Amino acid sequence: MAPEPNLAARSPSRWGAQEWVAVAIFVAALAVPYATEDLLVHSIVNRVLIGAMAAFSVFIMLRMDLLSFATPAFMALGGYSAVLLAMNGVTEVLLIVPASFIVPALVALPLGALVLRLRGVYFVLVTFVLTEILQLIVFLTPGLTGGSDGLAGFPAPTLLGRDLSDAQSVLALAAAMALLAVVITAALTAHFRQHFAAIEENEVLAESLGLVVWRYKAMGFVVAAGIAGMAGFALGNMLLTVHPTSFGAQQAVDTIVYTIVGGRGSILGPVVGASLLVTAADFLGNQGQYAQGLFGLLLIFVTLVARGGITGAVVTLARRLRDARRTPDAPAAAASEAAARGGA
Amino acid sequence: MHEFLTAGIIGISLGAQYALLALGFTLIFGILGVINFAHGGFYALGGYVAYAAVSQFGLPFPLAVLAAVIVTAALGALYERFLIERLVDDHLATMMLTLGLYLVISTGLLAVFGPQSPEFSFPVKGTLRAGTLYLPLENLVVLAVCAAAIGGLWLLIYRTDFGRALRALADDRKVAMTQGMRPGLLFPLAFGLATGLAGLTGALVTPILALSPSAGDPVLVTSFLTVILGGLGSIAGAVVAAIIVGFVEAYASVYLGGSAGALILFVTVLVILLARPTGLFGREIRGA
Repeated sequence: MAPEPNLAARSPSRWGAQEWVAVAIFVAALAVPYATEDLLVHSIVNRVLIGAMAAFSVFIMLRMDLLSFATPAFMALGGYSAVLLAMNGVTEVLLIVPASFIVPALVALPLGALVLRLRGVYFVLVTFVLTEILQLIVFLTPGLTGGSDGLAGFPAPTLLGRDLSDAQSVLALAAAMALLAVVITAALTAHFRQHFAAIEENEVLAESLGLVVWRYKAMGFVVAAGIAGMAGFALGNMLLTVHPTSFGAQQAVDTIVYTIVGGRGSILGPVVGASLLVTAADFLGNQGQYAQGLFGLLLIFVTLVARGGITGAVVTLARRLRDARRTPDAPAAAASEAAARGGA
Repeated sequence: MHEFLTAGIIGISLGAQYALLALGFTLIFGILGVINFAHGGFYALGGYVAYAAVSQFGLPFPLAVLAAVIVTAALGALYERFLIERLVDDHLATMMLTLGLYLVISTGLLAVFGPQSPEFSFPVKGTLRAGTLYLPLENLVVLAVCAAAIGGLWLLIYRTDFGRALRALADDRKVAMTQGMRPGLLFPLAFGLATGLAGLTGALVTPILALSPSAGDPVLVTSFLTVILGGLGSIAGAVVAAIIVGFVEAYASVYLGGSAGALILFVTVLVILLARPTGLFGREIRGA
């Protein structure tokens, strides 16, 4: 067998502007709990951070052209693991945050060996079924998971003995976890950019050229599961409860909508999508039940008109403006536009 | 023994409903290669159209069911013709389009009819007594209509030129097109036929079960289960699998409790999907 082409050597894991901007946004988010005491702002920012973390999980899988509905299942694994640790006396965040990543990641490893053989719609269906199964398991194990009552009243997490139960600390913890999530996502997707692109483009061809496809798919699946797990813990910590209804198909759909509407082609996509849609749903206020309809319309609109989502549209627009300025004559501009469209 | 038979009747009645739903779902996948996330939405929409026809316009129930079929079939055909058709070979795009449609339909129903379940009951009441068995008439009517619809669909698919054209497109679109089949006409018709079946099921069944804007959620899940079990795109497989799912659900709820029965069903389906993605009876109809 031919040696595996060393794609990473050809393009060292250099971060582009988008990765740095994404990390900068989450560093800035760390300051929010200390910059304002407005509880509405705290609540929105907290939900944006959790939504963006979950969307990173979908984003990683979409890099390999796999649409996953299993994000809520991994969120549940992370959330329940962290809360069960806290209920059994382990409240140190330096332990439970890693646990919320590692437990779902460990489950994803053997699961990935089974489900990553499937592609396209079959992968979609199997991940959909996984989320349903995990919810049923929760309902059927009231002794461990509280069943349909969920788990509430667990002790607040602590950092080196300091209690983190106040509103500021809850948000700061979520921001810290989101920062960790964006760094991991950026590192993974930048380092394996070429590998993932090869798999997305044509998996069979990539494999025939010597790329050990399953290795990268498994890596992506495991990391995506871990990041979802952290989002699950952040959600439980914000709501003060982990409950099966927090981890159903609806959450899978919301997370996918954040990623697609924000743009699946850039790490900024999940951030932009979660920020705009969580805020928009909040502005609907007591009309909040209509948010799903808005999400649906946006999903249809983006699919038909702007395949790259919001970030993709911005990038295309910027490129066109730049090209128009550089080459004022119309034929050349049209040609580069056609090239950009062909490349998208 | 008595309990066993009653559960069996419920099972076959459920199975017939699931078959109608799964047939529509599997038709769309088999012919267009599209996973229709809006399938449950068309079911709920059918229920509400029938409800509105009865309560607002005073139509008799059979006409209300017909209205539901027409509205859901027309909406499905138009949506396919004007939106899905453009991106029909991009599986991610078509999933997003149908998922978006589902969110819009269920929110639209919520906006128009409100979150409460409306008062909508089946017009035929009473029970049929057979020996020591009491059979609810409404279930028998549903069973009869579903069986007739399944039979009609079978004739349509296997005994008419329209059906032959659809099967040809499902088999090999390129060859079928060189033979003169026109996807631009047949795809919307197939999609409308399938969504009309979902609307028919919704109009028939929601007066017995429950009508709510989110009534489509469990329908989508059941359709997924059934078509995976029967083989995505397989028509006979969908019917057999639907009856199996109906029986398992009916017996599990009597002897095991709802969640445990559902878990067994889901895990079985998961194993089948992993071991044999073409389903119990399916053949490879379409590479995904």
